[in-house]
Amino acid sequence: MSDIGKVRLRVPASIKAGDVIRVRCLVIHPMERIERDKAGKIIDKKYQYIDTVTVTYLGKTIATFDTTQSVSENPFFAFAVKATDPGKLTVSFHDTHGQKYEGSVDIAFS
Amino acid sequence: MRRRPMRWLAVLVLSAGCATAADRPSLPRWTSRAVPEARGDVRVEPDGRRVAVRYPGWTTRDFARFRTYAYDDTRPEPPVQRATMPAGVTGDPERGRALFLDRVKGPCTGCHLVPGDDVWPAGSVGPDLSTLADRKLADAYLYQQLWDPRVTFPKTVMPPWGAQGVFTPEEIVHLVAYLQTLRGPVVAEKDPDRNPFTRRKPVGFGDNLDPTNNPAVLRAESAETTWGRRGPTGKSCADCHAGGTEKSMRGVATRYPKYVEAYRRVMSIEDFLTVHGPETTGAPLLIESAANVDLAMLIKMASDGMPVVIDTTSAPARAALARGEATFHRRVGERNHACVDCHTPDRGAGKFLGGRLLGDATAGLTRHLPTWRTSLNDAWDMRKRFQWCMTPLGANMLAADSIEYAELELYLTQFDNGKPLNVPGIRH
Repeated sequence: MSDIGKVRLRVPASIKAGDVIRVRCLVIHPMERIERDKAGKIIDKKYQYIDTVTVTYLGKTIATFDTTQSVSENPFFAFAVKATDPGKLTVSFHDTHGQKYEGSVDIAFS
Repeated sequence: MRRRPMRWLAVLVLSAGCATAADRPSLPRWTSRAVPEARGDVRVEPDGRRVAVRYPGWTTRDFARFRTYAYDDTRPEPPVQRATMPAGVTGDPERGRALFLDRVKGPCTGCHLVPGDDVWPAGSVGPDLSTLADRKLADAYLYQQLWDPRVTFPKTVMPPWGAQGVFTPEEIVHLVAYLQTLRGPVVAEKDPDRNPFTRRKPVGFGDNLDPTNNPAVLRAESAETTWGRRGPTGKSCADCHAGGTEKSMRGVATRYPKYVEAYRRVMSIEDFLTVHGPETTGAPLLIESAANVDLAMLIKMASDGMPVVIDTTSAPARAALARGEATFHRRVGERNHACVDCHTPDRGAGKFLGGRLLGDATAGLTRHLPTWRTSLNDAWDMRKRFQWCMTPLGANMLAADSIEYAELELYLTQFDNGKPLNVPGIRH
């Protein structure tokens, strides 16, 4: 993948106040898996994978997910949020190499 | 194309009194640049067995006996055969029912509805046979209908099962015995989806251009690496086509397939990549390789939303279009089917073939390809779709980049003219 860390965030096109909406997000990330050498021994290195995902809505952290190497490459997450007020929703992905990838979307009522 | 001596022998025997050589086009000999499983090769084992080389999981049965789409295959459609019921065989309705449902044979249920909760999924291409016996048709008539229905209905889409050797005379007697047990009244359906005439139609898989919904979008974006990678000549696609695919390839895909003068043949984007890649960057881009499909998607995505504008005004393009149209109507394979049988609205289109809803070629079904196949977790281009469609017909597939397929694709794409390109699609 050429652009590691590119985040896509999708919410429904039309949202009403109080709706429980489904937020879908995807990040381009290699999610390195444990590698083994020829003898079958685990190669000891600092694998790069996302270990924490945080969701912030209206300036407040509303969810944190701990993830492991068992999550696929280019991981996709979906979760439900109650849209109480218009405002910004941010999803940030943190990986074991200290990188942070972020995507945000404006929740507006129609 | 590889020459197969066995087939040529068969052609010589069968071609007496059929189409003249005059309607055979003078086209360049095309050496396939496809991955090995997409070339339509047949391998001969040391014991003499002929094994078709196809994609993993596909049948390896060699259908050399049956007519193909190859332009050099001049065998005619199998002749109409009259048949009489063999004497001395007593039909067993139970065995007949098992044969009717046998997925290795027909299955007859692919097109016809019969009673029973184990009949799943039945199709609606042919008539509902739930109460056939109430019509009091003669056994001999039904026998002929199964052996070769073209005797009564010359334009039928039903295969000549006996004449093509799918069912033996004895098996057809059992089938007739089963059909003669199908009497009314029809029981109410427990599950309305069992009946293809009342079954819900598939609704699709949502926004195909949303990368969080269609994995093919990510596959296409990964081809940006291929686009920027320098090949053995030291050049990359990006070196000549400046500004990224979005700018440099905008509108290009709307003009394909087209007649390419340099190669004297019709080419789709996928075909063109197989020759243009090696000639410029030096890196191979074999058709049906992931690199080819992904790059084709990336190039086509640069034209998404723009109307298809293929041009078939030049003389060679007009000739190619006419050949593509003839292919669409040409009956091939063990099943003796043509594209037109399943994919035009007055025949199979819009009906269920088993559980699959048949697409309508005249409404245009090329502008979303390559498409993501949710059932296979892979992106397929038009050519693999052709090969997949033709194999169950009992016809040996051609190479994915064959001229025959390119011209058929040209014919199908002209139904999409004026409609917006929408790549990659997402389908079952």
